[in-house]
Amino acid sequence: MMPDPVGLLASFTAPIHIGTTHASLLWMFPLLAAISVIYKVTKMRVFFFGRFARDVLVLFITISLFMIGAMAALNVIVWYVTG
Amino acid sequence: MIIKPRSKVEHGVFLVIVGLLAWAVPGAGHFLIGERKRAAIICVTIVATFALGLYVGSIGVVDPINARLWYLAQILASPLVGAIAQTTRSGDYVSYGRPFDVGQIYTSIAGLLNLLCILSAVYMAYQGRGEMIGEEEHDA
Repeated sequence: MMPDPVGLLASFTAPIHIGTTHASLLWMFPLLAAISVIYKVTKMRVFFFGRFARDVLVLFITISLFMIGAMAALNVIVWYVTG
Repeated sequence: MIIKPRSKVEHGVFLVIVGLLAWAVPGAGHFLIGERKRAAIICVTIVATFALGLYVGSIGVVDPINARLWYLAQILASPLVGAIAQTTRSGDYVSYGRPFDVGQIYTSIAGLLNLLCILSAVYMAYQGRGEMIGEEEHDA
């Protein structure tokens, strides 16, 4: 069954609901994946798909761990200052 | 098809064409110089990131009046963003709160990532990709 094109376009005219919860932070991961892919696709001098996929995964995990670490550190600082 | 410039002027024009194409359609610059796998990955990633941003925050995240700096980053994704800006200029598409933030960040990062791809395509063309190599590099 084909998707309704008008309905598809209409879904871009109103924002979706994202609550102000911790779960909303999960929205950073698709963006980190995109950044990892584009960085590696422009960085590799010779393109080998296997090595590209491995490098993207390593970079994605590295950035994700750094972001999680930064969030934890900032939370500790806020807790220390306000508590 | 691989374009083979001869003189310095033709080479300069070729670089400009690669840059403009890379801006107009994400990945098209790499496609022109024979880097088709890179072109496909760039196109899918940039378009998906930008479309996800629009889906989350609506087209209201493209706001050339109240969010001019964000708009400058967004339009780097493609000149077609200007057409969206013409639609949203009336203020009929309102977006706010967390979805607005997420959508604005996604679309702006997509634009900035495309700037990286434009520079990459022009640099590869400057180095002679698509002239000396002439065909796509294959996996080992």
